[in-house]
Amino acid sequence: MNTVSVQGLTKRFTLRGRKPEYRSISDWFKLGRSAGAAQRVRSFAALEDVSFEARPGDVIGVIGRNGAGKSTLLKILSRILRPTEGSFVLNGRVSSLLEVGSGFHVELTGRENIYLNGAILGMRRSEIRSKFDEIVAFSGVETYLDEPVKHYSSGMYMRLAFAVAAHIEPEILLLDEVLAVGDAEFQKKCFGKIEEAGRRGLTILFVSHSVQAVNRLCNRALLLEKGRLIQDGPVKEVTASYLHSGLESSGERIYQDLEHAPGDDCVRLRRVRVCSRAGVTQTAVEIGEEFGVEVEFSIFDGSVALFPLITLNNEWGPLFSTVDAGTELHGHPRTPGTYRFTVWVPAHLLSPGTLTVSVAVYSFRTYREHLSDPDAVSFVALETQGGARGHFAGYMAGSVRPLLDWTEERC
Amino acid sequence: MIAVKSSRPPLLATLAECANYRTLFFFLTIRDLKLRFRQTAVGVLWALVQPLMPMLIFAAVFGRVLRPATGPVPYMLFVLSGLAPWAFFANAVVIAAGTFVSNYNLLNKVYFPRALLPAAAVSACIFDWLISTVFLLGLMLVQSFRPHAGWFLLPAVLLWGIVLAMSVGLGAAALIVIYRDLKHLFPFLVQLWMYATPVIYPLAMLPLRLQWAAGLNPMAGVVESYRWCLFGGLLNGQLVTLSLLSTAVMLIGAGVVFQHLESDLAERA
Repeated sequence: MNTVSVQGLTKRFTLRGRKPEYRSISDWFKLGRSAGAAQRVRSFAALEDVSFEARPGDVIGVIGRNGAGKSTLLKILSRILRPTEGSFVLNGRVSSLLEVGSGFHVELTGRENIYLNGAILGMRRSEIRSKFDEIVAFSGVETYLDEPVKHYSSGMYMRLAFAVAAHIEPEILLLDEVLAVGDAEFQKKCFGKIEEAGRRGLTILFVSHSVQAVNRLCNRALLLEKGRLIQDGPVKEVTASYLHSGLESSGERIYQDLEHAPGDDCVRLRRVRVCSRAGVTQTAVEIGEEFGVEVEFSIFDGSVALFPLITLNNEWGPLFSTVDAGTELHGHPRTPGTYRFTVWVPAHLLSPGTLTVSVAVYSFRTYREHLSDPDAVSFVALETQGGARGHFAGYMAGSVRPLLDWTEERC
Repeated sequence: MIAVKSSRPPLLATLAECANYRTLFFFLTIRDLKLRFRQTAVGVLWALVQPLMPMLIFAAVFGRVLRPATGPVPYMLFVLSGLAPWAFFANAVVIAAGTFVSNYNLLNKVYFPRALLPAAAVSACIFDWLISTVFLLGLMLVQSFRPHAGWFLLPAVLLWGIVLAMSVGLGAAALIVIYRDLKHLFPFLVQLWMYATPVIYPLAMLPLRLQWAAGLNPMAGVVESYRWCLFGGLLNGQLVTLSLLSTAVMLIGAGVVFQHLESDLAERA
């Protein structure tokens, strides 16, 4: 049984140039004088013909660039905006959280705001009353419950607002980047709540700019581009193609035209790819898993000792270079033919992001750079399992994310 | 189950949904009520002061200069019995009219039946009318009026006034979203409306043949019936009937205007 069924949803906004959306007295007069004069009305499709369905347990991330229509989709499903065309059916109790603390009023006390906000989120009075203590405990603002929330710190305010939201019990949950608030400890609580909700069989639609968050929380993703749904599938695939859109290569590059491939008369580059142990080309790798960078060269000159070097770069520059530490000092000559080198990058080394592979081949008898391709392929490093992050959900700095041992003792 | 199509939902479905949001209606009313009196020195006493102040002014100025004939009822009481329903009505509709524009952030982030906002604003003002009615009855007892059967009809008049205020508030709130000039014009129109209603002058000041026509103004019916309940005496049946009819027209008109705009409020507010 589908809980969400969306059919051909289209939303067009009307832009009337500099003319405001509302009418003023001066317009009435103009209307009288030039009635029937064609107004230059432009319309802009924020969403076009979007259809999808969802079942219980689907935790769907909605991704796309600014203006792709993510928020419009969520607002239509939340019934804040009316679709221009199309229809949808939501089967079950719906809660939508487009912001935390909707309807919070600074003059009201924490207690009063819990009741008002709970009602705004669709809870019944008896429901709020029975969950009241739990909400207060979750927020951790017990001592200030009867103070107006204008005296709260912004952190307390947010925690209280989220605590109410976390205690609604919908069957369909619509979420808009509300997780971007609060400190790390609190984010962890929230992520936990959402993961738990997904396991309980809720249908969740989660709009976010953060591919990381979508990867952690969702099992399916929708990719929107200029109002259209261009991809719907497993979260890893969709996020990978989102990150790659705009990048030239993805996971593999084959140099078809050998004459123009990078290299010289000694050696030329044939192919570069990122792959798993099973030999499958990867556009996205899981940082908790080992993966290989595979490079194929055609060697034409058997007399030169060639020395390949592979470098991984992140968006700030080179992350590390690697050479075959087992070969002799300056490489060795190889009989002409095609050779494949694979370097295995261990699990728990990279931190998430987009990486590129640079490939170069040198010889050192007389120093010579035979081949260099600084941007051979690119791939995405994803973090979907605990790994070095554990259950921490906040921002983690650094270009690498090794999984290290921690000890703790009381002194 | 929620099924949404691109066409506007029928009015009855919209109204039926309001019933599911009783809790929200209750808490919005409580919010509006609390916010009006919170952190003021005399608190709820303001509900009484609001009609009392103009009463003193009108009694001092109008009562001395024009000396309207109000029969056995002292002019002071007469004015208060007009201002009690009027202060409620004027306060309620002006506050309700601004609710869509001032709650834009809520409209744009959460779904709930939109009519709840002006309706809660109106119901938060009911309290004022109750207080001033009790005060009036007390004042009458002090002035040795005897309680009579008409007093028991007061709830019906209150209900009439509430329905009227909700209609006008709802219609105005929706129109103001589209015609922003109304936001500034509306309080002024309401003020003018008071002078078109027998609040500070008796209906008897109009020529007898024309008194029924005052019923075109639905508030005239509310005020006249309220007075009749309090003091007894004569009630112009034609006027009341006409006022009831014009209340129905207002109710339907507001419903139509509101329904036309409801589902696009977030876009236009």
